[in-house]
Amino acid sequence: MRIYEVFLKADGKEEFRHAGSIEAPTDELALVLARENYARRAEGTRMWVVDRKNICVSEEGFIDANLNKSHRHNDGERVAKWRKSQRNKKSDD
Amino acid sequence: MKRSWASLEEFEKFLDHGGIVEPVDDMPREYRQAVFDFIEMHANSELMGGLTERDWIPKAPGLRHKMSVIAKTQDEIGHAHLLYMIAADLKIKTREEMMQDLFAGKSKFHNVFHYRAKTWGDQVAIAFLVDAAALVSQQAVFKNCSYGPYKRILRRIIAEEGFHLRFGEESVLRIAEGTEVQRSMFQESINDWWWPALQLFGPDSKPNDLLLRWYIKSERNEILRDRWIQKFVPLLQGYGFTIPDSGLRRNKEKDRWEIGPIDWEPLKQTMVMGGPDSARRISEASDSWKKTGWVREALEKVSA
Repeated sequence: MRIYEVFLKADGKEEFRHAGSIEAPTDELALVLARENYARRAEGTRMWVVDRKNICVSEEGFIDANLNKSHRHNDGERVAKWRKSQRNKKSDD
Repeated sequence: MKRSWASLEEFEKFLDHGGIVEPVDDMPREYRQAVFDFIEMHANSELMGGLTERDWIPKAPGLRHKMSVIAKTQDEIGHAHLLYMIAADLKIKTREEMMQDLFAGKSKFHNVFHYRAKTWGDQVAIAFLVDAAALVSQQAVFKNCSYGPYKRILRRIIAEEGFHLRFGEESVLRIAEGTEVQRSMFQESINDWWWPALQLFGPDSKPNDLLLRWYIKSERNEILRDRWIQKFVPLLQGYGFTIPDSGLRRNKEKDRWEIGPIDWEPLKQTMVMGGPDSARRISEASDSWKKTGWVREALEKVSA
């Protein structure tokens, strides 16, 4: 038996979302069992099942390096301050 | 990938900050065992509940009810399937071992499935009172559950139990609007199932309950039980039925229902497989497992 991860796409602009996992002996049966376990009540319009062994998983901390890069998150403070000062100037006139 | 904690205190601090534990983590042994026991009992209960539901497919009155009962059966067995899968992931028992323990009377399932459902009225009382009790406690677990896979599966289970509850409510309404014979049949069912449903929440939680400490449960048993009482006393009375509790009274100052003393003896009996229907239920479940063995064999053959 293999373990498959099940993803469902609700509709329209929604992205695929992880629904859970399922054990199945073949790809074809994985689709059937995933439908019967995760999509009994129109939970989605499309479905992916992926054999878990085909998923590449990052090491713990691999993406943490990007946590502290504040230059990637311009908070707009400087411009906001300037705009506010301009508005105050106008109302003073 | 794998996280670990230097001590139980460290782990508890992680939980206190809303940490979610995943199966790959090196969780403390006691926590692993506690989560496993809890999920195993839930899985067993879904399976036993699904099998009771199945018994009523041929007996349900009318095609519409039959179809609803079939859907419920599939839901409950589906819940059991997913729960056994995440329980097995904890690597304490294999799925096969869990089934064998259940059939040997070595592992627990909810008290309500140790009683016999004799009439359709009983089945409706179960759908109404018991499913609601299960839903109340599942919602409380879901709200703050620290074990990731369980929390994710509970979201699905709760959504589906919501449908079951509506089915129960609709069935109660149909009986309430029915003949005098139907109404008195249902009153008998309430008399039989009120106390077992109420006891599903268990006795008051102990002050140092580890399930609460580790965010496996998020609310105390007595609080959940009371929430259920406050909801179901007026509901049943509203339909014109009575509650089989001579101690029941309305506390006007507190604006709450207060119940009489609870006899815990029947609950204790079910915990040691000594309920009125425990033996038959377990042997039926075992038979069903044997009869469906060919499916598992077929799947094994394809995967080989």
